[in-house]
Amino acid sequence: MTRLALEHVSFWYPATAAPALADVSLAVADGEVVALVGHVGAGASTLLLVAGDLAPRVLGGRLEGRVTCAGTATGAGRRGIVLPTPWTQLSGMASTVWDEVAFGPANLGWPKDEITRQVERALERLEITPLRARDPATLSGGELQRVIVAGILAMDPVLLLCDEPTAELDPAGARAVWRLLHATAREGRAVLVATSDLDAAAEVVDRVVWLEGGRVAGAGTRSLLAADAMCAAGLGTTVAGVWRAAGLAAPYPATLAEAVQRWG
Amino acid sequence: MSPALRADHVSFAYGPTPALVDVSFALAPGDRVALLGRNGAGKSTLVKLVTGLLRPGAGSVWVDDWDTRDRAPEALARRVGSVFQHADQQLFARTLWDDVSFGPRALGLAPSEVARRVARALATLDLAGLAREHPYDLPPAFRKLAALAGALALEPVLLVLDEPTAGLDRALRARVARALGERSAEGVALLVVTHDLTFAAETLERGLVLDRGRLACDEPLLTLLAADDRLAPLGLAPPPVAALSAALLLPGRPIRAADAAHTLARVAASRVGP
Repeated sequence: MTRLALEHVSFWYPATAAPALADVSLAVADGEVVALVGHVGAGASTLLLVAGDLAPRVLGGRLEGRVTCAGTATGAGRRGIVLPTPWTQLSGMASTVWDEVAFGPANLGWPKDEITRQVERALERLEITPLRARDPATLSGGELQRVIVAGILAMDPVLLLCDEPTAELDPAGARAVWRLLHATAREGRAVLVATSDLDAAAEVVDRVVWLEGGRVAGAGTRSLLAADAMCAAGLGTTVAGVWRAAGLAAPYPATLAEAVQRWG
Repeated sequence: MSPALRADHVSFAYGPTPALVDVSFALAPGDRVALLGRNGAGKSTLVKLVTGLLRPGAGSVWVDDWDTRDRAPEALARRVGSVFQHADQQLFARTLWDDVSFGPRALGLAPSEVARRVARALATLDLAGLAREHPYDLPPAFRKLAALAGALALEPVLLVLDEPTAGLDRALRARVARALGERSAEGVALLVVTHDLTFAAETLERGLVLDRGRLACDEPLLTLLAADDRLAPLGLAPPPVAALSAALLLPGRPIRAADAAHTLARVAASRVGP
């Protein structure tokens, strides 16, 4: 089922003349991970704010077009958004990681044992159970980023929106988050993730939407990340870029596994 | 010539929790060094010691011939330019120009010298066209570049950067790489904390790896990033180019994209035969 749909959406931030999004249409279905890629300023973060009902509702600005979640404007089911700046997303109300992750579920008014179940599961899935008793204020950037993702996940959203969720993570942490996004989608959630980690995206996501100057410049399967046009724009995977720079024939492999297969 | 930076048996603890244990290393002028390791390995703590925000519990940190223990952070700024992990949040002036010029002005330099340094730093990062913009009208990635410009404008002997490429796209990362290459060629030593091993491989030469507060490695990135078996226990993974070189058994195991492409083309041509 289509979980999130944007139809001809344009968006202007307050007091700006140029739209941050211009005539954007896209859909994300339950069960799939869709990556938003593009250069800095292309509109991926704005698109997530619009999809998460934060813009214009909270941030102001003006929206044209239609944004629907499960077919309704107000949206059926919870949307969870992970912002690119984890420290701004802390509740400030919790003195342990466990309480921080429980903050969202507690505010949904769930029974205690359901909160406990969701929190324990989220900590486990982000591989941060050992941090449960730590004060969130003492965590490193990468640890904090995983705590925030856990807190969103613990609210059991049906639509998960993530803005550069691995930017501050070490390789092991980044892999854990990507695995999680994939697994959580396969459980039936819809996942939309803005990322500049094109190599990881090529391994994990189902579809790719390429934004340029607030518009959709291309969309397709993850093999789009090896397309000549995306490589030329500096948005192809590392493997595809090396293949192309070596002067080898297209189509280029997107991932290491594809390269090995091609090389024989 | 004294090293640009020297850590001499440095230890530091947050209360009872040790963060750094007996760490020693030195950077010569012009050295390009990546500081690597897991989240929580002690990298940011080491940065705070080098920039004078923390004092070593034991041992000493020297910047050129200054013991950091004897200098306040603002005095150290004459020699150490630093950009913190969340640098996009640390700008405060009304225009990018004012922000970047804050450091040089605080050093008490003549206005003409301040202007020269700021113009040069902005030009190096292709930010000259944005000099009159309000920093918070720009995307966070540009604010991060502006913070780097502010560090460059100090014209320090040592640049200490914490995750300078996080949140930057490839084009902006290339700007950072170019700026750092320029300055290190002039003798500025670089100490760069990063999880972006692609950026490290392309831009830097040597890797220091911290593992639970101890210095586990100090060696050329070329050998370190090709050693899969040693990377995993340190919480590191070979960057994509190194992984590709290894998987295709490319001679010399290149870790930079241009080198890998060159080698790949050569091997492919030899396979086709005459």
